[in-house]
Amino acid sequence: MSLRFHWMLPKGGEVGMKTAQETSRVLTTKTTSKASLPDMEGWLRFSRCAEEVGIESVLMSFSRYEPDTLVIASALGQVTKKLKFIVAYRTGFMQPTTFVQQVNTLSGLIDGRVALNIVAGSSTAEQRGYGDFLDHDERYARADEFLEICHAFWRSNGEVVFKGGYFQVESGQLSTPFIAPDRKAPEIYVSGHSAQAERLAQRQGSAWLRLIDTPENLVPLVERNREQRIEMCLRLCVICRPTSEGALDAARALLPEKDIERQERNILNSSDSQTLKQALAKADEVGWMNDNLWAGLVPYYGSSAITLVGTPAELARAFLDYKAIGITQFIISGWPKLEEMLIFGREVIPVVRRAETSCKSC
Amino acid sequence: MLPKAGEVSLNGQQTPREASHYRLASTREGSPAPRPDVPGWTRFGKQAEEAGIESLLVSFSRYEPDPILVSAALGQTTTKLKFIAAYRSGLMKPTTFVQQINTVSAFMPGRLALNIVAGSSTAEQRGYGDYLAHDERYARAEEFLEVCHLFWRGDGDVDFEGKYYRVEQGKLHTPLFADEHPSPEIYISGHSTQAEQLAVSKGTCLLRVADTVENLKAAVASVRGKGIEVCLRMCVICRPTRAEAIEVAESLLPQDDMGQYERSVAVKNDSQMYREASEVEDKWLSPLLWKGFVRYYGPVWTTLVGSFEDVAGALLEYKEIGVTQFIMSGWPELDEVKTFGSEVLPRVRRAEARL
Repeated sequence: MSLRFHWMLPKGGEVGMKTAQETSRVLTTKTTSKASLPDMEGWLRFSRCAEEVGIESVLMSFSRYEPDTLVIASALGQVTKKLKFIVAYRTGFMQPTTFVQQVNTLSGLIDGRVALNIVAGSSTAEQRGYGDFLDHDERYARADEFLEICHAFWRSNGEVVFKGGYFQVESGQLSTPFIAPDRKAPEIYVSGHSAQAERLAQRQGSAWLRLIDTPENLVPLVERNREQRIEMCLRLCVICRPTSEGALDAARALLPEKDIERQERNILNSSDSQTLKQALAKADEVGWMNDNLWAGLVPYYGSSAITLVGTPAELARAFLDYKAIGITQFIISGWPKLEEMLIFGREVIPVVRRAETSCKSC
Repeated sequence: MLPKAGEVSLNGQQTPREASHYRLASTREGSPAPRPDVPGWTRFGKQAEEAGIESLLVSFSRYEPDPILVSAALGQTTTKLKFIAAYRSGLMKPTTFVQQINTVSAFMPGRLALNIVAGSSTAEQRGYGDYLAHDERYARAEEFLEVCHLFWRGDGDVDFEGKYYRVEQGKLHTPLFADEHPSPEIYISGHSTQAEQLAVSKGTCLLRVADTVENLKAAVASVRGKGIEVCLRMCVICRPTRAEAIEVAESLLPQDDMGQYERSVAVKNDSQMYREASEVEDKWLSPLLWKGFVRYYGPVWTTLVGSFEDVAGALLEYKEIGVTQFIMSGWPELDEVKTFGSEVLPRVRRAEARL
C-alpha cells in the first residue's frame, strides 16, 4: 500500500502570513489573531493546492481559539472535490448521539470525505472553559465510552442501548447514516502519547496518531499496534530544500524571538498532556534526534514542530524508512504553510511514489 | 419551514396529497429525509428568497440531518435568506454550541437565528442521553442560554456555576457575525408556562402554534408586554377561491392506517403542545383555521385554509393583536411558497402600506 500523506490545515489567516513567527501559538492564541476567523479564501486556495499535489486529507485542529471544525469541514467540503477532512474533536463536549448525528450529516454534505481525530482533552484550563472538569485519566475513560456509543450507531443494527459511567443512552436511533462510497463509519485517529491514548486507539480507533520519533524508537510501538490492526500515523513538520545546507539555513531562520520562546514554554509546561511534555524534553535533551530529525523548533512552535529537515532525496528516504518499519500515514505541516506543502508535493511525493512502484515490497 | 430532504427534488409530479404523505413518511425507514439534499434545498431556498420569505426554519429530530451543519451548507448556496436552526438545549455543552453557532454565522453574517427547544418526547430525549423530566429540561435550558449569552456579551472570560452547567474561565475567540445584535435572534417554542418564561428571560420571540385571534389575544398581549415578539407556526393552503382551498385540505386527510400510526406517536409525547393537540375534536377553529390534520399528525399541522384574500386578511388580523412573525409550510412546498409569495404577500404588503 502507498504511504498516505495528509497535511495540517493552516489556521485562519495563516495562508497569507509572511513569517513563520506569525503562526506561532503564542501569537495565534491572541484575541486579535486572524486564527479565530474562518478564512475561506485562504483555505480554498490551500485545499486546491493540496488536491493538486496529492495530499489526501487535511487535519483541522480544535481549540477555543479557532472556529468549530465540524462546521468548517462542511463549508470547505462544499467547494472541494477530492480532499478529505480529518476533523479534530474532543469527546466531552456533546452527547455521543449528537456527535454522530453531526458527523453523519457532514458525511452526507461532502460525499463521505470525513475522518475524525479524537482527542480526549487538552489543558485542564481549556477543558474547564468548555464545562469539563474531569482529570486526564477520567477523560480517557469517558472517551472510550463515547466512541463505544458512536460505533454502536455506526454499526446500525437496531436501537442503541448503553449504560456506562459517563453516558447513558436508551433506544437511541438516528436516521441519517454515515454516507460514503466505501465506508459505513469514519476512520478514527486517536491522538496522544499516554498509555491511555494508545489503548483508546487500539480499542476504538483505526489509527494511533502521535508525534514523529526516530524509526528505532518507534519500532516496538508500531509492532504492538500492528498486532492490534491499528495503523500508525505520525505528526511532523518538514523543511525541504534543494541542498542540505539550504534546508538547515531555512530551519535556523525559523527560530523566533526569545519572548515567544518564553511564552510557548509556559504553555507547554502548564499542560497536563503527555505529548507536550515528551516533545519538550526531546527538544531540551537531544535537539537533533538523528541526521534529519530536529526537535529544535518545539520550544517555539509547540509539540508538533518536530521537523524532518533535508533535501527531497533525504526526505523521501526518511519516509520510506518509516514505511519499512510499518508506519502508513503522516500528517505534515511546514513554513510558510502553503509553499512548503507545494515543495513537498512536487519534490518529495513523486520520489516516494517512484520508489514504491519500483520496489513492491517496500 | 425548510422542507425535508428529498421533498423538493421530487417536486413537479407531486399532488398536494403525495407531498403531504411524503412528509408523513419521513420518519419511516427507506425515506430519503435523513440524507442531506443540498440541491433540492437550495432550489427551495432560492424560490423562498424570490417569494420574499425572510427565513427558513431547519428542524431538529433524530429522523433528520443536523440543522446546524445543514444551515452552514445552505448559507453558502443562498445570499439573502436567513436560517433558523432548531436545537435542543441538553445535547451539547453551551461553550461548544456557541463555538459552532459563531462559526456558522461567519459564513452567513446576520443570517443565522436559533429556535431553542427544551426537549421532545422522553423516548427521543433518552436516545440522546438526556434523562431529565419536562420541567427540569426548561430549568436546564435557562442555564444553557444564560451561558450562551455570557459568551455573546463578550466582556471577558465566562464563569458560571449552576445546577446543570459549570464553566470556568470560558473563552472563545471566534465571534458571532451579526449585523447589529450581539447575539442571534432566539425563538423559544412551546406552549407551557415554562416555555413562555424562558422566551421572556432568554429569547427574542415566543414561537407557538397558531390558534384563533380570540384565543391568542390576551396571551399575545401579555408576551408582547414583556418585551418579546410572538411568532405563529402554521401550515397554509391558499387557492384562488376558498372552495378550492377547502377541497385541497380535505383531500389531504390521511388514510386510516397512516393516521393511526402518526397518532400513536403524538400521544406518547410529554410535550404540552402535543397533549393539547391530541385533545382537539373540532376541525374548524374559525372559518379559516383548520385543525383537520392535527389529531393525526400533531400541533404544527394547524392550517390556514382559504382564498388569497382570506389568508392575507387572516395574517393582518394576527398583526392587529400583536403577532409579528409567522413560520409556515404547505404542500407541495415549492408550489405553496411560490403561490404565497406571489398572491398573498403582495396583498399583505399593500394593506400594510395603507395603514
